Amino acid sequence: MKRILQIFVWVGIALLGAGALAAIAFTRGEQLNATWFVVASVCCYLVAYRFYSAFIAARVLALDDKRATPAERHDDGRDYVPTNKWVLFGHHFAAIAGPGPLVGPTLAAQFGYLPGTLWLIAGAALAGCVQDFVILFCSIRRDGKSLGEMAREEVSARGGVIAQIAVLAIMVILLAVVALVIVNALKSSPWGTFTLAMTIPIALLLGLYLRFVRPGRVLEASLFGVALVMFAVVAGQWVAASPSWARAFTLSGLSLAVVIIAYGFAAAVLPVWLLLAPRDYLSAFIKTGAILCLAGGILLVRPHILMPPLTRFIDGSGPVFAGKIFPFCFITIACGAVSGFHSLISSGTTPKMILREGQSRLIGYGAMLLESFVGVMAMVAACAMPPGVYFAMNSPAGVVGSTPAAAAATISTWGYHLDAQTMTNLAHAVGEQSLLNRAGGAPSLAVGMAQIFSNTIGGERLMSIWYHFAIMFEALFILTVLDAGTRVGRFMVQELGGRVWKPLARRSWMPGNLLSSAVIVGAWGYFLYQGVVDPLGGINSLWPLFGIANQLLAAVALVVATTILLKMKETRWVWITMLPMAWLVAVTMTASYQKIFDANPNLGFLAKAKVLATQVAGGQIAAAKMGETQRLIFNQRLDAVVTGVLALMILVLIVEALGQWYSILSGRREVVLHESPYVATQWGEGFTGTAHGDD
Amino acid sequence: MQTGQAAKLVRRWVRQFWRGVREWCGDAAYERYLRSKARLDSSEQTLTAEEFYVEQVNRRFSRPNRCC
Repeated sequence: MKRILQIFVWVGIALLGAGALAAIAFTRGEQLNATWFVVASVCCYLVAYRFYSAFIAARVLALDDKRATPAERHDDGRDYVPTNKWVLFGHHFAAIAGPGPLVGPTLAAQFGYLPGTLWLIAGAALAGCVQDFVILFCSIRRDGKSLGEMAREEVSARGGVIAQIAVLAIMVILLAVVALVIVNALKSSPWGTFTLAMTIPIALLLGLYLRFVRPGRVLEASLFGVALVMFAVVAGQWVAASPSWARAFTLSGLSLAVVIIAYGFAAAVLPVWLLLAPRDYLSAFIKTGAILCLAGGILLVRPHILMPPLTRFIDGSGPVFAGKIFPFCFITIACGAVSGFHSLISSGTTPKMILREGQSRLIGYGAMLLESFVGVMAMVAACAMPPGVYFAMNSPAGVVGSTPAAAAATISTWGYHLDAQTMTNLAHAVGEQSLLNRAGGAPSLAVGMAQIFSNTIGGERLMSIWYHFAIMFEALFILTVLDAGTRVGRFMVQELGGRVWKPLARRSWMPGNLLSSAVIVGAWGYFLYQGVVDPLGGINSLWPLFGIANQLLAAVALVVATTILLKMKETRWVWITMLPMAWLVAVTMTASYQKIFDANPNLGFLAKAKVLATQVAGGQIAAAKMGETQRLIFNQRLDAVVTGVLALMILVLIVEALGQWYSILSGRREVVLHESPYVATQWGEGFTGTAHGDD
Repeated sequence: MQTGQAAKLVRRWVRQFWRGVREWCGDAAYERYLRSKARLDSSEQTLTAEEFYVEQVNRRFSRPNRCC
């Protein structure tokens, strides 16, 4: 009887999900409610988790709860810490949830809501969650080894080095692009700049408190810090209203870039307890709170979706970024569906804290489903605003002009009605001078969030506070990615540099510390500078580059996972990682090729460089603009080289892996699986990680 | 009786939730370390709360721990 009921329930969930998906896909000419997005995604996630992840857990990976995990075998209360599964789920989710699933879907909304939403749901269920889950499992079986170490041991030594260099290169591009998102959100915005600037002294205060006053009392310090940050959000309006203070905090894009570069360097060099760690605590609390508020707001307000399912820009002529749905929708969404970076988290801290192998399903697969849901909410927030407003905010000045009248005139010719007064009124409502040309996704997401929040609490009166709260929330955790990433990048530079000159690898050696910090900050700082001075806004070229890099890292992770599955003799089920890998390789290679060689100068780096070079040769560039144009030509060529090198590295890794796979399948070489030896668990069945006196 | 049981259940949930939050944010890390240390009975000198905190954040921020 229970079984029949279960079947009915699951058939009901599946039918409800299918119905909601059909509503999203086939509704034309009438307004769609956001509730359909929530129902469709949640039903699909439930079905995927209940059936597909259970299939992978039982049939493919054969998770064994009787096998002791690294947390049990090496429990030291410091690095290897047995942790309750829900607590670890929270840890893992806080680590994987970054700005990507918020910014990516917002940018991809230029194609309409349909392609992005479908990929967020399908990509997560079939590729992203699988990657996170399988890599977590592989790392658990190898004492928590990193992706690079697993690549070296299971694929080849060369594979390990390639993975390491790929991670570093990807990190440089990632840091540049997230910094550019902040610059575009805060330029000429004294309120936003003041609020974010205040988070630095607040973090320093918390750092001193956590080190010297009440060591490690994170909760009380963070709650106090969150209250101060909220006060800073409110105080920002007084700063913006005061002419002298507003002048001090009104920074151009270039000035902001310089400040952010200096901040990144300081965060990498200063003791981690002083600035980086307390900022991270603040960010984790605010991030979790804001995401919960957004979910609650969408459910309460149930906004109508104003963006059409498909826009005219599916032909590749989009103003936010150039390129057709395939491959650029998938490249742009990136983190909300599949994120290569997650494989670094799944093979980092999490495997050292997990209690049982069986829990890797909830933590690896489940946390990524939740991240995908965040992406769907971002899509809803972006698509709930009028399309004309969305395009005015996300298109560069070079495309739509820099005045409300010019933007309204251009965007109206695209078939999306916009009058100049709407943009002026909206900017006024959120306490900004202008909302035009703010490519990067953060401001348009903030407007979407502010509209949802103000419809829940406070109405129009609180619109500006909500907008700046949303901007602060996005900028705060982007800065957290920036400073933590810069520090890790510094260690990677030291590790790689140490192979050439040994002293460089010593983390405590100050000259090495300063030099490697300068190298990593200089690298992402250059790309940031390039984005800031780009007349097309930078996001146009840098976000696709970031997407390509991120998806290539996912391909690396799936190559490693496929090799391990083959070595485990799971040949029959190897498609669960091989198909997503093949898809990612197809997407990234197509995108890389088009970004380098496409004849359309809005899309291809080399074509753009050629057009500019022809203009220079033909004397069409004014003498005053000559230096800037030469720099642009160089940057386009540099972007082409970087894209080519990334793609080449992955191709080499795949060739290495193909050799391995052939040897394994043909039985030419003895298969060596580098798993830790089997040790039976000593923990009882009901052990939940709260033993040893916690109860 | 039923009200008493419900109150007990709510108290238990609140306690569990509170403990979960403290573990999630790292507030309970030092207590956990001390318990592990006592159980493992290693000869290594026990770190003070301050030393443990600094060591822990140094370790956490020397590898990728925040994603894009």
